[in-house]
Parts: sequence; structure tokens; C-alpha cells
Amino acid sequence: MDRNQLVKWLKAPAKMGHKYSLHAVYFCTGCGIIEVPPSITARWDAERFGVLPTATPRQANLFLITGYVSVKTLRAIIRTYEQMPEPKYTVGFGSCPINGGMYWDSYNTIKHLDRYIPIDGWIAGCMPRPEAIFVAVTHLWTLIDKDMADGYKRYRKHYAAYRANQEKVLRGLDWPPLFPVEEQ
Amino acid sequence: MDRALIDSLSSTFDALRVEVPREDRLTVQAPRDAVMSVLSFLKGRGYDHLHMVSCVDWMEEGQFELVYVLSAYGTGQDSASNPGEEIILKTRIPRELPTVVSSISLFKNAEPYEREIHELFGVRFEGHPRLTPLFLERDYEIPPFRKDFDTRQYVEDFFGSIPPVGEEDQDV
Repeated sequence: MDRNQLVKWLKAPAKMGHKYSLHAVYFCTGCGIIEVPPSITARWDAERFGVLPTATPRQANLFLITGYVSVKTLRAIIRTYEQMPEPKYTVGFGSCPINGGMYWDSYNTIKHLDRYIPIDGWIAGCMPRPEAIFVAVTHLWTLIDKDMADGYKRYRKHYAAYRANQEKVLRGLDWPPLFPVEEQ
Repeated sequence: MDRALIDSLSSTFDALRVEVPREDRLTVQAPRDAVMSVLSFLKGRGYDHLHMVSCVDWMEEGQFELVYVLSAYGTGQDSASNPGEEIILKTRIPRELPTVVSSISLFKNAEPYEREIHELFGVRFEGHPRLTPLFLERDYEIPPFRKDFDTRQYVEDFFGSIPPVGEEDQDV
């Protein structure tokens, strides 16, 4: 163990635990997922950074959204995100979740993902290299250290607005609100 | 392409336009009412595999063009068909009232293709068991693959109307 980090470990052991065991939910959207198998296996080996793929969102705390998000996928993304236990971190991967990317004028693709679920960080590029995932992970460590990876807190705080946007795109959300939404 | 097949096609049906653009390809232009009978005729001649059904929007001419691509598995007793050859059957239907008889009774795998065309072009297939949405989640005023659907305007109007959330405390 790094001796310089001893104080951090003693001060906030839970935070250090979250930081070094990021379990990424195995959720594939768009074309960016093609970068993930080499990242988690022998060639780039994400386990060096404590990142492991997890089969179910209920055991995961890192959500990589790896490409364009169609309206239908958004429904699955919201369901997956809401199932993950807190603290949870989301990273948008590639240019499509940021502002639509090359699908900026598509009739069925979400343009700004952060209007529907909170995003802690973005990896720009089309495609980003696997190294970019690790740069993002180390950035995420810094953010967790400084309590700035607070997407799940923002989701609670602005849930009414997020839910309103989700309902605007997806007619008839067939699950109840995750958090109580005040009547307006 | 088998000469006998072309001859029997044009002798059985009138108002067909048969062309051979390539050695292994046959293009048949048929009127809307003859589609099912031509398909069943071709199926009887051993062309028993429907590759796909597609649709083209000819907006200036006010027509949709349905395209059926057929080929042969080459497993039948009938040796008239050759697995390397494909037959492209095209038919034009008016854009105002786009209805056509579903080909599911002949080819079961036409179901998702016809569902997709119904969703993206608004063509109605008579006799299709479930013309419910396949890919799309939202309702569009004009089916989005029609040429007069303005995607940029739609994106501006709809996705532009969704406000950002909690921008004041997003410092990441």
C-alpha cells in the first residue's frame, strides 16, 4: 500500500474502498462497447485499476455509457441506473452521449444524456482509446477524493426535473418515481 | 438467368416488366394487385427464400416502391432454381393511400420487415397480425423515413425543448 495515502485511508476508509473497487455494470450501448473487452482483459487489464465488469446493476457502482443512446436504450439506461446502489458513478464514453455526436440530427437519438441521468465525467472522442478509460478512472479517483463525484446526490436533489425530462421523452414510464416527487 | 423462367413469367402475367441487369439477377416490375400472385408463382418455381422486404420513397412521383428480394435455398426437388440467383420484385404504390397485401401467408419471415416498413414509412399491410411499433418509442406526426420528414426541424423542436438539469451546481 502507498504510505502517502495512509492518512486518507484512516480518515475515510469507505471512500477509499469505493475508489479502488469500481465495479462497472456490463451494459452495452452503441459502438463504444467494442473498446471494453480489450480494456478488461489481458491487453489493457482494467483490474490494475480495480475496475471489474459486473453482471448485474445491483452489484455495480460504475456505469459506462459507451455510445449513442437511442430513445429505447434510454429507458433501459434509466432502469439500470436506478437499480444501482449508492454511491454510483456514471461516465459518458465517446462523443455521442455528450451532445449527440454524429447523430446530432437523428430523430431517435438522445442528444444530451446529462439531461436524463446525472453524469460524473465524460470521455471525449470517437472512439476513445482504452487508455482513455483509465485516464477517466484516475480522474474519477480524484473526484471521489474531493467529494466531487456527486452525481447520485444531484439525482436525489433534482429528481423532479430529471423525471420530468424522462417522461417528456418516454411516454408512459411504467415504473413509479424512485424518490418522492412533490406535487406542483 | 433461366430463359424459361423469364418466358413463363411474361406469359403467365401481363403488365410485368422483366429485366436481366446481371447474369444472376432478375428484376420484375409488377403492379400492386399482382404482387401476391407473382410471389407465389416464384415460390412455386423454387425461389423459396425471402431475403428482405424494403421500401423506397419516391416523393416527387408520389409513390412508394416496395422491394422484395427472393432467392432459392436450392433444396427443393425443382431444379429450375439456382441458389446463386436472386429475383428482385418491385411494385409501386401511391403515397396517399399506401396499402398492400401482407406477404406473411407465403413467407413467414416477412413479418418484422413489414412491421418495420409500417413503422418507418407508414405503409399499411393488410392481413398483418401485429402492426405495432418495433423500434420507435415515440409517435411521429410523419413516419420518420419519409422524405418529407424534416429531421433537423424535429430535433430542434423536440430535443431542443428539453431543459438542462441542475446546471448551476455542475462543477465537474
